[in-house]
Amino acid sequence: MLSSIITISLGAILINNFIFSQFLGCCPFLGCSNKVDTAVGMGLAVVFVMGLASAICWVINEYILVALGLEFLQTLAFILVIAALVQFVEMFLKKSVPSLYSALGIYLPLITTNCAVLGVVLLNVQNKYNFIESLVYGVTGGLGFMLAIVLFASVRERVEFADYPECFQGFAICLVSAALVALAFMGFSGMSIPV
Amino acid sequence: MNIKKQFKEGLITNNPVLVQQIGMCATMAITTTLFNGIGMGLSVLIILTCCNVVISAIRKIIPDEIRLAIFVVVIATFVTIVDLLLQAFVPALSEALGVFIPLIVVNCIIIGRAEAFCQKMPIGPSFFDGVFQGLGYTCVLIIMCVVRELLGAGRFGGGLIDVANGFRLTLDGTGGGIQIFPETYGASILSLPFGGFLTLGCLMAVMQYALKKSAKKKEAAEKAAAEIEKEVEE
Amino acid sequence: MNKILKLTLVLFLVCAIAAGALGVVNELTYRRIDAQQQAKTVEAFSAVMKADGYEEVGFDSAAFPTVNSVNHATNDAGYVVTSTFSGAQGNITLAVGVDNDYKCTGISVIEHSETSGLGANAASTGEVGVKFRAQFVGEDENIALSKSGGSIDALTGATITSRAITGAVAESIRVVKSLG
Repeated sequence: MLSSIITISLGAILINNFIFSQFLGCCPFLGCSNKVDTAVGMGLAVVFVMGLASAICWVINEYILVALGLEFLQTLAFILVIAALVQFVEMFLKKSVPSLYSALGIYLPLITTNCAVLGVVLLNVQNKYNFIESLVYGVTGGLGFMLAIVLFASVRERVEFADYPECFQGFAICLVSAALVALAFMGFSGMSIPV
Repeated sequence: MNIKKQFKEGLITNNPVLVQQIGMCATMAITTTLFNGIGMGLSVLIILTCCNVVISAIRKIIPDEIRLAIFVVVIATFVTIVDLLLQAFVPALSEALGVFIPLIVVNCIIIGRAEAFCQKMPIGPSFFDGVFQGLGYTCVLIIMCVVRELLGAGRFGGGLIDVANGFRLTLDGTGGGIQIFPETYGASILSLPFGGFLTLGCLMAVMQYALKKSAKKKEAAEKAAAEIEKEVEE
Repeated sequence: MNKILKLTLVLFLVCAIAAGALGVVNELTYRRIDAQQQAKTVEAFSAVMKADGYEEVGFDSAAFPTVNSVNHATNDAGYVVTSTFSGAQGNITLAVGVDNDYKCTGISVIEHSETSGLGANAASTGEVGVKFRAQFVGEDENIALSKSGGSIDALTGATITSRAITGAVAESIRVVKSLG
């Protein structure tokens, strides 16, 4: 059990990083990485929602969809759960932890359309993870996202001052620098943890 | 809003990936063979068109407060239908695209078009918007695939064109493609995630360059016309 | 209150229609999808070991965590072992045929998400893939890549995938040996 958790965690954070090797969650990754502070906020929000969504969707899938033979409704059910969850988290934070709410602010609603969240839930089903494994995969996948976005934000802060061709302005130069960060993450690819 | 203008917007001036800069995850993830690219592009085109039409048709009866929830339900329904059909009839494609088919639900292109266009426009323009935006998306995917496959593996049309058994198109993803130069000479790194980011970045830069150039040309032409007019007046 | 009720009703109605539509499509497609999956497994099994049928047998799943199933060929030719393990990009599911002398009779990739053009060649029907998979025939549990002193040549640019597959073949032979 413990060894499979370690395998899943290291896999999700480094080896099969959600952004750099699976391309999940690229839109918020590029959109919210202007500054390190906002990147940290977005990262935290994603860790939180991915963990919760993994746990809740596992229960729904196992006890409602699979039990009733309605697996074909998975995508529909999961996206509704995620949308409701994000809304709920927003209301909860607004009332009880206003400081965190103002820090995360506009990033919360954006998470609904973050494909890393729906992706992690679908991958949990595909990999046939049990409850604990799903939860671990969700949280560590979020941590991997956070690591990537924070690292990239600090790269981007330096790129701002670099001298590059005019036509690369905006997202183009971001993508090229993201490519270089992805190159660094390739060093982890295929590392396997002896079970 | 005429069709010609919508066509130009979808493909060039308001291209979903290169100009609106949305829907990039799948663009980078699956563009390793032409088979995947065309398959994904057409799936998105069909889903986008269906969603656009349905959302536009029901736009007057959905309450504003829950419109996003309803959009998501409509989109998820069409995505699941396409997913099931692909699994049943083109299993090779559904396998190659894997989790990226259900992930079309959160592809910002579809919800973006619903929010920005269909909830205000009648069915006709919404239909064409879906087709042209989908075509624009497919074109970008095809360009990405061709570049990455050619430079990465020295091939064209992998999975789609079968040369070994006579020149024909295949739908089961087994075609080897046309080998243009030996695979070992290719920069295989372009097939890896690194190549996805790099190719899209460069493509975007080329697009910006082209758009800027044509804008400048237009400006210069207008200036020249204004000067001629001035001279005539004098 | 009335408003909330109305919103809930509309949302519920939309969801009900959506679920109904999906139910119909599912009804129309699920047989085909099932048949396709079954055909794929049978094809993979018969590619590694010819037999009329396969019977699943029990094994020590704690000692062999990557192995999914061990299937005894009904004509006593040996066993087909399926296992799922981590490749370079994601999980690979592999069918391995093992004969009664504990030698590999062939391998077939059932599912994978390896890089197209590199690791994915392990599953391709092209010349490279066929040549790669043919190397495994006749190998025993001491199988290894040529880089590690064995006889299997790794796929170009896909050492990780090749190593993972080689390891899985060895594991499959070991699980059959453990049956005695």
